Amino acid sequence: MTQTVQDTNQNLVELSTFLVGDALCGMDILKIQEINKLIDMTSVPQAPSYVLGILNLRGQIITSIDLSQKLGLGKTDLSLDPRNIIVNSKSEHIGLLVKKISDVVQADKNKFEPPPSNMGGIQGEFFTGVYKTEDKLIGILDVEKVLRLEET
Amino acid sequence: MQIEDDEILQGFIEESLEHLADIENDLLEIEENGADINEDLVNKVFRAAHSIKGGAGFMGLTVIQDLSHVTENVLGLIRSGKLIPTPEIINVLLQASDKLNTMIEDVSNSNEYDIEEHLIPLNAIFNGEALQPQTDSAPVEETPETVEEIVEEVPIEAVPAPEPAVEKEPEVMVPTPVPEPPPQAAAPAPPPKKAAPPAVKKAAAKVKVDTSIRVHVSLLDSLMTLAGELVLSRNQLLQTIASDDVRNAESVGQRIDLITSELQEAIMLTRMQPIGNVFGKFPRVVRDLSSKLKKDIDLIIVGKDVELDKTIIESINDPLTHLVRNSVDHGIELPADRVKAGKLAKGTVTLKAYHAAGQVVIEITDDGKGLDGEYLGEAAVDKGLMTAEQVAAMSDKEKVNLILLPGFSTAKEVTDVSGRGVGMDVVKTNLDQLGGQVDLISEVGVGTTISIKLPLTLAIIPCQIIMTGGERYAIPQVNLEELLRIPASQVKNRVERVGNAEVVRLRGNLLPLIRLSDVLNIDRTYYDTEEDDFKKDRRERISDRRGKDTLLTTDGEVDIQTQDESTAEPSGARSIEDRRYTASSALNIVVVSNGSLKYGLIVDKLQDSEEIVIKPLGKHLQACKGYAGATIMGDGRIALILDVANLAVMAELTSMDGTDRASEVAQAAEELVKSQKDKQALLTFRSSETEQFAVPLNQVERIEKIKRSDIEELGGKRVMQYRGGSISLLAIDDVATVQPIADHDDLLVIIFNIANQIVGLLAIGPIDALEISMSIDDTTLKQNGIMGSTIIDGQTTMLVDIFEVVGTLFPEWFEDQEIYEVEDDNGKTPVILIAEDSNFFRNQVKNYMTESGYDVIEGEDGAIAWELLQEHADDVTIVVTDIEMPNMNGFELTETIRRDPRFSSIPIIALTTLAGEEDVAKGKAVGVDEYHIKLDKEKLMASVHHYVKQLY
Repeated sequence: MTQTVQDTNQNLVELSTFLVGDALCGMDILKIQEINKLIDMTSVPQAPSYVLGILNLRGQIITSIDLSQKLGLGKTDLSLDPRNIIVNSKSEHIGLLVKKISDVVQADKNKFEPPPSNMGGIQGEFFTGVYKTEDKLIGILDVEKVLRLEET
Repeated sequence: MQIEDDEILQGFIEESLEHLADIENDLLEIEENGADINEDLVNKVFRAAHSIKGGAGFMGLTVIQDLSHVTENVLGLIRSGKLIPTPEIINVLLQASDKLNTMIEDVSNSNEYDIEEHLIPLNAIFNGEALQPQTDSAPVEETPETVEEIVEEVPIEAVPAPEPAVEKEPEVMVPTPVPEPPPQAAAPAPPPKKAAPPAVKKAAAKVKVDTSIRVHVSLLDSLMTLAGELVLSRNQLLQTIASDDVRNAESVGQRIDLITSELQEAIMLTRMQPIGNVFGKFPRVVRDLSSKLKKDIDLIIVGKDVELDKTIIESINDPLTHLVRNSVDHGIELPADRVKAGKLAKGTVTLKAYHAAGQVVIEITDDGKGLDGEYLGEAAVDKGLMTAEQVAAMSDKEKVNLILLPGFSTAKEVTDVSGRGVGMDVVKTNLDQLGGQVDLISEVGVGTTISIKLPLTLAIIPCQIIMTGGERYAIPQVNLEELLRIPASQVKNRVERVGNAEVVRLRGNLLPLIRLSDVLNIDRTYYDTEEDDFKKDRRERISDRRGKDTLLTTDGEVDIQTQDESTAEPSGARSIEDRRYTASSALNIVVVSNGSLKYGLIVDKLQDSEEIVIKPLGKHLQACKGYAGATIMGDGRIALILDVANLAVMAELTSMDGTDRASEVAQAAEELVKSQKDKQALLTFRSSETEQFAVPLNQVERIEKIKRSDIEELGGKRVMQYRGGSISLLAIDDVATVQPIADHDDLLVIIFNIANQIVGLLAIGPIDALEISMSIDDTTLKQNGIMGSTIIDGQTTMLVDIFEVVGTLFPEWFEDQEIYEVEDDNGKTPVILIAEDSNFFRNQVKNYMTESGYDVIEGEDGAIAWELLQEHADDVTIVVTDIEMPNMNGFELTETIRRDPRFSSIPIIALTTLAGEEDVAKGKAVGVDEYHIKLDKEKLMASVHHYVKQLY
């Protein structure tokens, strides 16, 4: 009995979900350092188009990335009060700009399904799988892949 | 084996592991490139191996040293192109580096390791025994004579080794050759596998290096106290905010400000470490080395306590080791040779650290044989690093500094200690990264001094803040030469196009211009001073419609502009219909330099200079080469720090030499200099509202803004307090019949230094500094205090003779000078020959001379002056000549005079309006004794008196 409880505990993850364009995406909540409002950003000329700029987070300089553009879903409308998800990747903080933050969902890792085969192209490679809840489908985002630099 | 100093050993291990981590990846890349050798990469691996060898040698880790030595040998062959890196060779090298890694990790037992299995194949490769049977033409055979150093040590035999060296297949871990080679295919297999995880490995290695730091307890205590105070202040602040007490908030703010800066200082101190930590290991290095080389050397260390940032201390270690080893190995001679040269048998190497001008200077001095510039120049040519012409054009000092080129070594043979030509290269590369500079001074037979200048810390640097496109950017002060603002009215004259390049004339030189917004590819904007806002700029080119070479510059337009400028009052009455004619269209140029490269960066707005903290940019922005990092400004926003060198590269302004564009620019510069004949820099101002005056800019000390109430009238004289004393104030109407000084509340005081006295001339705005070629009318408006008039921007402007003004009001100031001026011992009046084409200047100079009691002969150009000089050969005492003259210019005249033995010692004083450095040098070369700026009466007369005195 105890064994099973532990098992389920190990497999349970809390997914923080958010809207990128119209797509509902999720990522392990433990990878998120914090979520904040869009703050004053300094644009960086000549940066890749998906980089919105850099911002000052309590003395740290953070690159802010428009997740929607990175996933090839068009630009995020900055007037609709988007949010920055601050994640820590390879000893660097990076802000991912998303349209809207949604619920935190408890999910069972065992129930993750591979991404549908027709979800190809740019988007497909950034998702590790999908998770079905009662009424919606969450795309599980592979943050490291999103943040990896394209080889040139 | 005993290792005395744990810290040094630890340092060696960390450093070597870091090197090895890099070596592996680099070797793989070298292999990929195959015959297409990337020199930089091979150099890097080579240097890494060299550093490990050096460190190991010093630690007494002989096995590590041996292995890295043979590795280095092979790499040397690859570097010189004698060996094409095949997978087999790389495999052997990789295994050797693996072994090195193992040994270094287990450093205390490293001397027990058996490295025979690596030595044999490595030596075989080095000796030219073909490792791979398929290569029939062993690359080692080609032209061995160019690699003298290596050849001397190990003569490469042209006979290919009969034994196929496949037996030393890397998979085989047995030292003795195995007759049956394992399948060939196995050999190239491993590298691709390894190629995948290099990034991860590298990161891991870096993490390992993170170490602790030792801080004195007292410093920690003070940090604690400061932190405590900060907490208290925070409480106070919160309380103040809660109670809405504005007055108190101010004092709390001040308190926090104070504590923060103290805290910052204290924390910076924890990063500071005495350089003794690095110096400490050198006594042993020198002792061991000198006994090995059979030399007798004393090491003197000065300035152990000088403190530097931890990061700098760590990175300075490698370069310093190389330098000290070099001094010991190459610098100091063998005792017998020293005695022969009349020196003490015992050589001295001095290591010295001290502070100078906000930087730390480290000097390594030896009293050895010194560097022979000529020899170094020849060596550079032999090695193909330089062409003979390049070397011929170099100064001795430059030749000595050739030693810093990669691949340069003067040692006649490769020793275990140094002589592969990597050492100095490592030094230069490492120091460049730190923002340091290396400089060599050497005298043959006396010794060499290498001085290194380092910044105190890398964390905080002073920067100039600028704005472009509404964003702020920081330019490091080290790159900053000067700030230049070209008023709208002068843009058309000073900014020109040469080909497709925009250039600005700056003191006779042409400076290439780059628009920051263009380099960064952002919308061009300009700063509207009236509306305090940035607006889109529609102009394509700066010189558009106003440049000299554009057809659109119609006379009408110029007229509108001049009118506009001259009638404009500071009150803002100017027309703002077209912003090109307003102050907004002034150009703000930041003149920056990086090494020999110098250019002007056009920005929208200049702001303050600030001390900033550099923060790195995230990896997604690494591809943006134009930035060195970012910083957080006082308001919490971020400013990017510009990388001056890379901006130039991005703007394709790589070097001013050798490009077509450069030659165009050079040509244009020459033409400009020609057309710049008799340009005079003037300061224009007004005394009354309607009359414009000008004085030569070089006579002006500075300009002060004052209020009318600052003027005190005492004893019938106007005075003003200035820098702790009182100075006399004059107005032009005191002397000349002009309108009285305007009744403004805000006045300007132009400060002059005349006859060693400071005086202020009262004036009102608008003031402007400009450079014009003057055609001066010295009759119409000539009167006491006014030397003549000229037309500037359509306005008649009176030129003020400040000497005359002061002389009239305070004749006593000049009395001292008058006395020593008249000096004619043998009853003969000294005769001055003046060569000058402009009537105005000739008369001015003539007046100066005659006032002082000299006789004057005048010539209108060089040729006439030369004839006059021959006529009056016995009378002329001094020749005063202009530079730019028709028929025969000042340089030619000087040359002609100097060629004649009769006049070889006659003093020649040249007068110029722009004393460009090249001009001065050129003048000195042809025999000009002194240079003076036209209308600088005092200096000119002083030097005339000086020469007259000498002659009588």
